[in-house]
Amino acid sequence: MEEGIITNIQHFSTEDGPGIRTVVFFKGCPFRCKWCANPETQQFQPELGWSAGACLKCGSCVKQLKKYNISIKNEEISWDSGSSSRKLPSYKDLELACPTKALHLIGKKYTVDELIKILLEQKPFFDETGGLTISGGEPLAQPHFALSLLEQAQANGIKTAIETTSYAAWDTVANIARHIDYYMTDIKVMDSDVHKEWTGLPNQKILSNIKRLIQEFPHIHFRIRTPVIPGVNDNPTAIKAIADYLKPFEKRRKLEWELLKYHRLGLPKYASLHRPYPMGEVELPQDKFEELHRLADSLFKSII
Amino acid sequence: MANKILSPQEKRIEDNRGQVVFSKNSRIQRLYDSFQGSRSSVDVQRAKYFTESFKTTEGQSLVLRWAKALYHVAENIDVIINDDELLVGRVGGQGKYGLIYPELDGCFLQSFAQQAANRVESPFEISDEDLRIIQEEIAPYWDGKTYYEDLARSLPEDVLKITYDPVDTFTSRFIANETSSMRSALQWVHDFGKGIDQGFEAIKAEAKDKLDRLNPFDPHDSIDKAEFYQAIIIVSDAIILWAQRYSDEAKRLAGAVTDDKRRQELLEISRIAAKVPRYPADSFYEAVQSQWFIQLFSRLEQKTGATISNGRMDQYLYPYYKKDMDAGKITKDFVKELFQCMWLGMAQYQDLYVSPAGVKFNEGYAHWEAVTVGGVDQEGNDAVNDLTYILLENKREFPLNYPDLAARIHTGSTREYLDQVATTIRDGAGFPKLLNDEEIIPLLVAKGADIASARDYAVSGCTEVRMPNLDTFTTPCAFINLGAVLELTLRNGRMAKYGNELLTVETGQPEDFASYEDFEQAFIAQERFILRQTFRQQYIANRTRPKHFASPLGSALHALCMEHGLDLHSEHIPGGVDLGYFDFIGLASVADSLAAIKKNIYENKTLNWQQLLAAIEADFEGFEDIRQRLLHSPAYGNNDSYVDEIAKTIDRVGVQFAKENARYLGVNIDLRYVSQSANVPFGKVVGALPNGRKAGTALSDGSSASQGADINGPTAVLLSNFNTKNTNYINRASRLLNIKLSPSTVAGQDGNEKIIAMIRAWCKLKLWHLQFNIINRETLLKAQQTPELYRSLLVRVAGYSAYFVELSPDLQEDIIQRTEHELTA
Repeated sequence: MEEGIITNIQHFSTEDGPGIRTVVFFKGCPFRCKWCANPETQQFQPELGWSAGACLKCGSCVKQLKKYNISIKNEEISWDSGSSSRKLPSYKDLELACPTKALHLIGKKYTVDELIKILLEQKPFFDETGGLTISGGEPLAQPHFALSLLEQAQANGIKTAIETTSYAAWDTVANIARHIDYYMTDIKVMDSDVHKEWTGLPNQKILSNIKRLIQEFPHIHFRIRTPVIPGVNDNPTAIKAIADYLKPFEKRRKLEWELLKYHRLGLPKYASLHRPYPMGEVELPQDKFEELHRLADSLFKSII
Repeated sequence: MANKILSPQEKRIEDNRGQVVFSKNSRIQRLYDSFQGSRSSVDVQRAKYFTESFKTTEGQSLVLRWAKALYHVAENIDVIINDDELLVGRVGGQGKYGLIYPELDGCFLQSFAQQAANRVESPFEISDEDLRIIQEEIAPYWDGKTYYEDLARSLPEDVLKITYDPVDTFTSRFIANETSSMRSALQWVHDFGKGIDQGFEAIKAEAKDKLDRLNPFDPHDSIDKAEFYQAIIIVSDAIILWAQRYSDEAKRLAGAVTDDKRRQELLEISRIAAKVPRYPADSFYEAVQSQWFIQLFSRLEQKTGATISNGRMDQYLYPYYKKDMDAGKITKDFVKELFQCMWLGMAQYQDLYVSPAGVKFNEGYAHWEAVTVGGVDQEGNDAVNDLTYILLENKREFPLNYPDLAARIHTGSTREYLDQVATTIRDGAGFPKLLNDEEIIPLLVAKGADIASARDYAVSGCTEVRMPNLDTFTTPCAFINLGAVLELTLRNGRMAKYGNELLTVETGQPEDFASYEDFEQAFIAQERFILRQTFRQQYIANRTRPKHFASPLGSALHALCMEHGLDLHSEHIPGGVDLGYFDFIGLASVADSLAAIKKNIYENKTLNWQQLLAAIEADFEGFEDIRQRLLHSPAYGNNDSYVDEIAKTIDRVGVQFAKENARYLGVNIDLRYVSQSANVPFGKVVGALPNGRKAGTALSDGSSASQGADINGPTAVLLSNFNTKNTNYINRASRLLNIKLSPSTVAGQDGNEKIIAMIRAWCKLKLWHLQFNIINRETLLKAQQTPELYRSLLVRVAGYSAYFVELSPDLQEDIIQRTEHELTA
């Protein structure tokens, strides 16, 4: 049976779609947004992660997992991550070696059946509004697995939602959308060059997909999200450009536009992956965000 | 737009700089302001007059003595009507007061009287004159006569040593702790409807009629029952007299006030107090005043656990409400005002515990005179009515902890009702608590109730339920310390705290257990041994209780007592359903410990017994790596079958033991998990545990997870609860279950949907009890101080989630700031 690679599964999620939801975070994303708060979901293969706060620096991993070249330097655990083809330690190896799960594997393979079993345990909590949210990473980057999971969930009476970049071939996006009740997608910035500079990829495909989805899937509830990021779109021109793009859909039922404030909560995750944080020290002042929020509010009816 | 992390109620309080403000009603504000600044004081009147009467009635039957004592109290206790009061009646002096019940634990009175004002938990003021009365008039009489002393004397040596220090028979050992000396009955709900609808003249007439029909040739009739019915007549006269004294006082005050409006109010109070509870109430106002008199007089009668609960108020008051509303005699605002007068009356009463263990079990001044709303009626139809909604709305508007509102839920509960319940939970501090008809009604029927009575249950005390005409009094139950059971297993029948004394049985040294199964068998042997001793302890308590307490008022309102001429404290009443309990304290702490042993010693072999025992002996000092490994082992509350199966086994041993052995006690005796605050003192006597818990710290609470160990969210906590119930047995009762939510996760109408979804799921899973705690800024600050207890605290920002304690101090600060300025829909 087909397997998908999943970063983690979160229950009682209340921020990723309506009602009480179980979020399945896919692993792997074609983008490299510099502000990404979940860098551990970017790579498609399992990887080692290390939580500084939980680590005792006891050295048990250095001794027990010799062949993975783990070392302690400057109060930090590091390992040889150069050759990604190198076999990673197994879950059992890590459980035996690390007393606190500070050193752990990120990314686990699941079959659709395994995920459905987990979802059915949670089903009593979904009630009439909640359900499954697939998120990531980018679920569209594992299209067959995502489709099969959504089909099975719906067959079991579970409502479905997605958090996605909408970056895929139209057929792929449309196939998935046929099995989605609630669709959350980003419009980060309208200028494609700026988009490419900050995320690694241009945005034409995204913008055309979103427009078509809104037109061709009237039953889907859309939530368009714009993370307000310093240097990217924290100016009235950028916000107005997005408002202009959305303006034709202002009267559509079941569509909102949400502004999210830039935050730096992903920092510890970068540290745990031994990656530098691309945003550096930059912050977004609260009053600036509120000003832009007011602007969006004046330009578009359903703003959140 | 800015959503503070405070709940709406807390926010209102903060906005008013810490003052509680009842913006809508100046009468209520003035009443509240009249006592809110006062310190709690001991009021000795009840104990003084009760004792005076007892000194003159020695040799008579207990129920008759009790009725006479209550009459003496009713004749003499101060009658006080304060400005602005619409409901009259109080059983103590001005301000916040607590009563003492020397018949229960008077042997502790001398030491209590000296320490009351200075004790750490729940201090009480006491005047010099009252101190003298306690020391000279009250305490000496009860010396050697109290329930507590009788019980302690009656316990066999092997039971005594797991109950109290066998030398002083005074200090609790917190292994298998009796709680029957803290309160005379576990908790209770009267059939208030009977008192309101019929009145005490009718009850007197009923008693007289019974007296006339007794068989003069049968001494059981002509002596025992005759005394019982005489007691009913005396206690009826007592409550009528007491109400009449309020009527007289109101009339006197009416003559003295200059304000016309207040004069009219006082004259109306005088009219009503002369009428109820003597005669049937005719109006809503009369019905509420009648209830308040009965409720208060019960506090003079005895100290039940939690104080007497209020029953299904939205049911028995509804006919009065409907009649007056239809006739245009009352308004919704007046209905709420009357209720708020009652809640303020409750808030002035403080549940005073005298014995050292009683104080520790019930920290704070909390009492739970639960008001029940919703659920099904006797025929199984949804019972919600307008009064249900008024009581819910009232809870949202009234910022004090009283009343303890309990909402019954069933699968047919309407959306409208659940929406109102959810709004109330969100707005208040998690109230109402919820009880599940789908679990409770079938269990009551299985234990012998008829279906109509079972459907008419009322919530009683903190999580229990009562059928007011079918249930009988319950001896307050034993609390069993599962943490101690585990330590007894690890130390071969001994505990570090009590030296080398063999407390139970020897089940072997841990190092000798070749397999986890061997170890588990030893644990079960200890568990069963403690259960055996506990049942013996309870047998003695059951037998001792009726010799020391009587409840003529409670009996007057109970159909079976009146029918059979038996006091409610009797060991058995024909036709009654006897529901008794025993409590397990620390389920999660112990299940997690067993799982950690199984995983680390027997499966992964990352530890051996010598290392584990050494680490425990040292309270993990110098063994932090071992402790961390234990803390990160499978934990209850995460829907993880590895540990849930172990918890289920611990539960099964308990319910199976009850099934096999309750027959010897002649009552139902069922397993419940309701720790109140007992998980704290119980934790104090238990050394470090193999789940990484440090010596002396609190055990897990109710059926909740170990502190901070539930890292998979609240749905997993509910599922673990579901997974660990042995539903093929009926020997179970309530499981207290608290769930923490942050205000931001349940903000707005969307938040209601989430709470409703949680409630519906909980109802389908047939779990007994659920209460939401809405966490606040304080919680986040505490999490910064003691991160190990808050590992489960999840921080959510759209598109991102993390455990709060894993964030750096700066980011934690950011979260605290952020959550206070979070943007919401």
